[in-house]
Amino acid sequence: MGLHLTTDMFVQQLVNALIIGSFYALIALGYSMVYGIIKLLNFAHGDLFMFGAFIGYTVLAKLTGTGSSLLGILIAFLIAMLVTGFLGMGIERMAYRPLLKAPRLSILITAVGMSLFLENGVMAAYGAKPYIMPVTLPTAAFSFLGTKITYSQIGIIVLSALLMVALQLFIHKTIYGKAMRAIAIDQTACSLVGINVKKVISLTFFVGSALAAAAGMMNATYYGNITFMMGFIFGLKAFTAAVIGGIGNIQGAVLGGLTLGVLETFGTLVIGSEWKDVFAFLILILLLVLKPTGILGEKVTERM
Amino acid sequence: MEKVVEKTLNQSTSRGLPGINRKLLYVGFLIIAMLLPFFSGPYWLDVGFLAVFYVVLGLGLNIVVGYAGLLDLGYSAFFAVGAYTTGILMTQFHMNFWITMLLGGLLALIVGVIVGAPTLRLRSDYLAIVTLGFGEIVRISAKNFSFTGGASGIYGILSPFPKPQMVNGIMINNLSYCYWLILLLAIITMIASKRLTQSRMGRSWAYIREDEDAAEAMGINRTRSKLAAYAIGAMFGGLAGSVFAIKMTAIAPESFNFMQSVMILLAVILGGVGRISGVVIGAVLVIIIPELLRDLDKVMHMGINFDQYRFLIFGIALIFLMIFRPQGIVPDKEVEE
Amino acid sequence: MLKVLRNVSVIAALASMVTLTACGNSNTATNTTGGSNGSSGNSGGDILVGLQFPLSGNEAKMGEDMKQAAELAADEINAAGGVNGKKLKLVAQDDASDPQTATAAANKLVSQGVTAVVGGYSSGATIPATGVYHQNGIPMVVTAANSQKISDQKFPEIFMINGTTVHQADIATDYMVNKVHGKKIAIIHDNSGYAKDLAEKTKADVEKAGGQVVVFDAVNPDESDFSALISKLKQAQPDATYWTAYYKAGGAFIKQFKQQGVSGVIGVGDGSNDKTLIQIAGKDAAEGTFITTSPTAEFLPEGKKFIDEYKAKYNAEPGPYSALEYDGVKVLADAIKRAGSTDQKAIVEALKKTDLKTLSSQVSFNEEGTLKKSNFIVLQVKDGNFAALK
Repeated sequence: MGLHLTTDMFVQQLVNALIIGSFYALIALGYSMVYGIIKLLNFAHGDLFMFGAFIGYTVLAKLTGTGSSLLGILIAFLIAMLVTGFLGMGIERMAYRPLLKAPRLSILITAVGMSLFLENGVMAAYGAKPYIMPVTLPTAAFSFLGTKITYSQIGIIVLSALLMVALQLFIHKTIYGKAMRAIAIDQTACSLVGINVKKVISLTFFVGSALAAAAGMMNATYYGNITFMMGFIFGLKAFTAAVIGGIGNIQGAVLGGLTLGVLETFGTLVIGSEWKDVFAFLILILLLVLKPTGILGEKVTERM
Repeated sequence: MEKVVEKTLNQSTSRGLPGINRKLLYVGFLIIAMLLPFFSGPYWLDVGFLAVFYVVLGLGLNIVVGYAGLLDLGYSAFFAVGAYTTGILMTQFHMNFWITMLLGGLLALIVGVIVGAPTLRLRSDYLAIVTLGFGEIVRISAKNFSFTGGASGIYGILSPFPKPQMVNGIMINNLSYCYWLILLLAIITMIASKRLTQSRMGRSWAYIREDEDAAEAMGINRTRSKLAAYAIGAMFGGLAGSVFAIKMTAIAPESFNFMQSVMILLAVILGGVGRISGVVIGAVLVIIIPELLRDLDKVMHMGINFDQYRFLIFGIALIFLMIFRPQGIVPDKEVEE
Repeated sequence: MLKVLRNVSVIAALASMVTLTACGNSNTATNTTGGSNGSSGNSGGDILVGLQFPLSGNEAKMGEDMKQAAELAADEINAAGGVNGKKLKLVAQDDASDPQTATAAANKLVSQGVTAVVGGYSSGATIPATGVYHQNGIPMVVTAANSQKISDQKFPEIFMINGTTVHQADIATDYMVNKVHGKKIAIIHDNSGYAKDLAEKTKADVEKAGGQVVVFDAVNPDESDFSALISKLKQAQPDATYWTAYYKAGGAFIKQFKQQGVSGVIGVGDGSNDKTLIQIAGKDAAEGTFITTSPTAEFLPEGKKFIDEYKAKYNAEPGPYSALEYDGVKVLADAIKRAGSTDQKAIVEALKKTDLKTLSSQVSFNEEGTLKKSNFIVLQVKDGNFAALK
């Protein structure tokens, strides 16, 4: 099938790639932060993305009828981030903390169990049918290089960028951020100098989960519908993004997310949508085999 | 957890019942299992097939997870390789089932080596996600390619067994023969697992599980050792997949999804990682419990469709087992000491 | 401390296993005594009819709708004196839309001694189940599942009352090529067995009818971003685009299709025949979308009576396959009546000679056990609702 990449199509695809890439990046940040600090691959992280979307939906459904939709979306957005953040903290406290000293296999399996629990818990509470978001984003658009771009699309990209900048500032400018980075380097030394390691780990889960919820909520309002399984594939892809950037590396997660977004969007044009997921997983496997540390990753030694 | 497993492996001969009584018990179980087609009726025979089928898959995965300590989340891909090998060769090329079964096991072994060789050098948690990705690649490819029959799969896989006949008023048909075949495969897998743990290879796995670096220092080639575990586990999956194909008479990609891999993993963990008897009990429970849930509400009249909560219950079980009982639910005196 | 917790959890786990097993046992016991009578099949004067569809998992609602419709049909038949003086008794088993669960469900029905089976929703689960029924000589009327592969197995006991993909591809091609006068046609599926089958059949039909298939592609139904594909479509400028997959992704697809202003009309297959499609797409975007579908009750001449009775009984709207399941029970009852007994061979022979006016169509079977005459219709979205096309 012949395919010519015209300018308008290229721009349209680039916008799509940026949006998808931002979602991947926001989720990948959580994977990377948690991995950086306790070397845990949190399988349930993709489901927090889904959970955030469901909380957002629930709040919006309660709010509908109270007029201004943008304000409503903002309130739902914040509540979703907050609730999911606390859920993330709770998961760490209940399921992961008792196993931090246990063999690696145990905690990985627990994370798989947690993922199943979240997916099917939401299904039990809401049912398996897709939910339609009660509000839709404004579709007002402007023309740019021959294609239509909506203000909502720009809004999502800007909001994602803001969140990423805020995280960057938090990690580098605040005492908690510094503690996080210190714990990632040497946990024992940190507890010796009086850092409350448990509290900082908790906080890491809160921030990572809240970011995933933000992505979930934006994804839900942008595409308009949510299901209990939406976090599974998305979480896997975001993990791929984290690995592309170098897991444990914050800038790497952002770079990896955007890279995957672009590769996938343009790759789909060439190889056909049915191979889209295979394409993403092949990138993951090839990268792990050829350069396991990712684009920005440093050499990480195995924790024994 | 590894310590516990190690301990049980070493002491498996001196545990619980005196040796001779235990042997009698096993023989008793085996006789009952062999006679199942004569008294179960088709439904419980179908469930029995699935349970024994899961015993084979569980033992195969146990070599990877329990013996070598590697988390494989894409194990269903190997049983897909076996099932599709038999399905395609029998329907397209009219090959003899037994040859396709051997080829299925062999192909799964080769695929195991191809996937394992480059990835087993990685950290164990990376391996988990790579195997998950591999499982999805196999499933999606089976869905997309036309030689695998696309999404509705392959149908019309003919039974290689004698025509159905009545024996003392009991119908002996394809399902009965498939059941006996998978039972035979389960026994072979059990003996092989037992032999493996006592072999040089088995001991090298135990060292790797305990301390990879120390094992390497002792002169164990850890990548080769892990690869052996991965490939042998894959082969059993492939053999079981071939039997699955003739039992189902039709196969579709949806049989080999991530949830299937999780169920097999749960079977291994529920009874007790690394222990043959534990895996057998775990596999049987993983299949029987959902079947009991099937009609639970008709007894309890609570208006709850329990079947819906299957994976919710499985998820909770995984978390609780890891936190409170990593050695599995099968009681074991020595372990508690 | 940990040890105590461990012991407690072990005891709890074991206790729950024991309870479960006990429940299960008592339950099977009641089933065997109440449900069937050894291998002969039918307890007392009742005719035991098995139902098989998903009652758990993603498609549970479809199964529930079908179950209620089957009960409605059986109640009507029983109220009118039953079949040959015997009452129909239904037993439903869950196949969870999963092949492995489906054979267990099928074997459970065989164990319960059913005379025949009515049902089958997803083709992937129905195909292996028909193998079980065939081996046991049990006739089955397949109601919702409609993959050609079911009849390709050439099992004489299996009859399909839903039109197959061949029937639907005919209607869709006729609409796009002859009614819309489309030359460039795009076809999109999601790689699920059914959608891909329909897409391939439609492609062949369109090419035979002189049309050109400019885009033939698949999406991943678990995702909601189809922008790459839509850009491809936009460039190909199709006169008509046909979506053969399901409503959830279909709604999102239509929404993005309209947002980016792809040329030509858009239509969907019967997997998308659900009002949620319009909700997800949005009323404006969905307007004008055509739907090829097996007949749902509200567009059938005698559908109104069925809907009223269904609503009165269950206080809910019938689902998209309710009418077919209702018909399925009626077709089976008619065959048992003409067979004059519950002998399964006689019932199969009687089913072959079926010529019955049902809600959805005049049902009669060809050699392959599929409908002689297609019962598919074309609908269109009007003012946020499905409406018959003139």
